[in-house]
Amino acid sequence: MKARFHDGLTAAVHTVEVTVDGETLAFEVQGQAHRWSLGAVETERVGEAVRVAPGARGAARLVIDATEWAAATLGSDLERRSMRREMKLVIGLTAFAAAIALFVFVGMPLASGPLARHTPPDYERRMGESFEAQLGVALKPCKGALGQAALSRLGQRMESAADSPFRFRVQAVEAPMVNAFALPGGAIMVTDDLIKMAHTPDELAAVIAHEAAHVERRHVMQAVWRSLGLGLALDAVVGGGSGAGQQAVILAGSFTDLRFSRDAESEADARGQALLQALGLSSQGMAPFFERLAAKGQSQTAAEVQELLSSHPDSLRRARESRVRARPGAPAFTPAEWAAIKAVCSGQDRPLRLPRLGGKRTATLVNGSLQPASGLE
Amino acid sequence: MVVAVPLSGEGSSLRIEQRAHLPSFLGLSLKNGLLNLITLTLYRFWGKTEVRRRIWASTYVNDDPLEYTGRGVELFVGFLIALAILGLPFLLATFGAQLLGPAIAGLIVVVMYIGLMFLVGFGMFTAFRYMASRTALRGVRFHLKGRAMDYALSYFGYGWLSAITLGWFWPAAQRRLAGQLWGGLRFGDGRFRFDLEAARKVGVYGPYALGWVGLIVLYIVFAGALFGVMSPMFAAAEGGDTPPVPGLGMMVAIYLLSTAMVVAIVAAFAPYHAASLRSVAAGTSFEGVRFSLDLKAGTMVCLMLSNIFLILVSLGFLMPFVQARTLKLVINRLQTSGAVDLDAIRQSAQAGPRTGEGLADAFGISPI
Ligand SMILES: [Zn+2]
Repeated sequence: MKARFHDGLTAAVHTVEVTVDGETLAFEVQGQAHRWSLGAVETERVGEAVRVAPGARGAARLVIDATEWAAATLGSDLERRSMRREMKLVIGLTAFAAAIALFVFVGMPLASGPLARHTPPDYERRMGESFEAQLGVALKPCKGALGQAALSRLGQRMESAADSPFRFRVQAVEAPMVNAFALPGGAIMVTDDLIKMAHTPDELAAVIAHEAAHVERRHVMQAVWRSLGLGLALDAVVGGGSGAGQQAVILAGSFTDLRFSRDAESEADARGQALLQALGLSSQGMAPFFERLAAKGQSQTAAEVQELLSSHPDSLRRARESRVRARPGAPAFTPAEWAAIKAVCSGQDRPLRLPRLGGKRTATLVNGSLQPASGLE
Repeated sequence: MVVAVPLSGEGSSLRIEQRAHLPSFLGLSLKNGLLNLITLTLYRFWGKTEVRRRIWASTYVNDDPLEYTGRGVELFVGFLIALAILGLPFLLATFGAQLLGPAIAGLIVVVMYIGLMFLVGFGMFTAFRYMASRTALRGVRFHLKGRAMDYALSYFGYGWLSAITLGWFWPAAQRRLAGQLWGGLRFGDGRFRFDLEAARKVGVYGPYALGWVGLIVLYIVFAGALFGVMSPMFAAAEGGDTPPVPGLGMMVAIYLLSTAMVVAIVAAFAPYHAASLRSVAAGTSFEGVRFSLDLKAGTMVCLMLSNIFLILVSLGFLMPFVQARTLKLVINRLQTSGAVDLDAIRQSAQAGPRTGEGLADAFGISPI
């Protein structure tokens, strides 16, 4: 059959006569014989023609009419060969992708515990400072000095009972959500809306104890390590320059993405209650508060609430389990402290004048305490 | 300046045609999209290679099709290299910054972003060089002369100049940058040249001013509309009754508004993009052949708007289709004058880089 031939040395065009003899392509150019093995050639359909390359890195090309080529190479497995190659590629890549997913969802969570335990406390402390600086832009500490002092005292008591190198610094902040979170290095923040939603000192103390347990068990650092794993995987998949990996790491610095595993949450519940009991405080506030969060928080977006709600039966199970572990004890705050805490974000540094503070009655007395997520007032 | 025309008497004119069968790119788009999904986008290197192969093979120069000889695995290895030398250190720097406290963190981030800006130009040049080296016609390869570092420095410098001049240097910068690429291109031992004077004959500042002013106006309109959409929220915040959390309707409105904004910006700059391409074509010559591009502003506006529409409704799936139709339209508006003796072009010893455009992929800036 007739073909156009480019010798790969110049852009000139030669016309040649090509014969297919078994597994060999043969043709002659200006007295010189060429033989290409059919097993090695690569072909590409180009319009009505087929472009044939000698394989590997050869620059020479034959351009042959597609129908003639198909007839001449009938029975050779050129087509099937390329199909098989593509199939292998897709299978290999899918396996690679699965390995990456495994790394993110299994490998890193498994490794994050030991990694967190071996992270020098000093690093975690400095990371916490960095987080706090970033958070400080969005979350302003509440102004009530008396309430802050009461919260801070509870933090110090928790610290004395816990086995941790960090200073537990509990603080009330203004934010339009019901949330409490632990930062690396011991900072614990509770939002004004969460304080409003707590009916009793026991309930607020339970939340703080839960966060204190996250700090003690270094769950925060675990989450940071997991986010690094996610960042690595994202980079591996979509490329480093897109910043997706960095974004994942940076996002981990914002509280909404510091998620803990289910096990970590259960552990924090149990350990939190144990801390309260070690201090002689009541650990009965956890169950009612979590139950109420689960029932009320439908429209909440905060991470802690979401994690409770995303597994609704699970949160009820947690409430049930904490009820079993609950022991009576002293309230974490005196009535005066509790009043100060309730007023900590109201902009005025004095307790609300409410009759008979303390105990369960407070709930019905404090204005707005049943209205979550109205932070800007 | 007049480019010397080495007429050997045997030269012929050049006819460039893009004959892509567009419907076949719909199937390819679907296939690539699905494979990207199941491989967490790792298939993209092979998908992109196939798209290029088909576009090149349907681009004819005097009835001979171009050939794309690049391989998916070359892009993949390039990507892995970029990941190792770029992605990992930057990720660790970000991570480390968190450990070192706010002040040092800020410094690290600033240094990192300046470095990234520099690397963007580097990535563009290396991507162009890779593509040139994997392009062949009649068995003869193209290649790109010049150093990536020089281009990166120009890009970096021009970027700053443009920022200082509030964008007004950018058209001139883009012309010069394009000149560094097209002027360094070789087909075998045949030379492309870029003549800045010739390129300047096609004005770009009029259309650019249109886009620039349009952008300012659009920002003001957008800010106003955004305020209008969100005002119920502000009112609620002041009243203190309902929580100032955006509702679903408002989120949708904000999303639609942002989309409209992006579309409007693209439309505003489309005339400039057409002019910029015309200018670059006018400045480019290959041996005795000069180029010109007959691409009107209105055509470009329609093209870009329809492209955005296709990308949006297909969630990006139709990217290969969009690329093919764009190149088909632009290439078929390319006109040539003068003659060249293609038969006399000799293969060059340059084989080009071994791996492809990892940086460009990392930044998402490779043109095709
Ligand atoms: Zn928790």
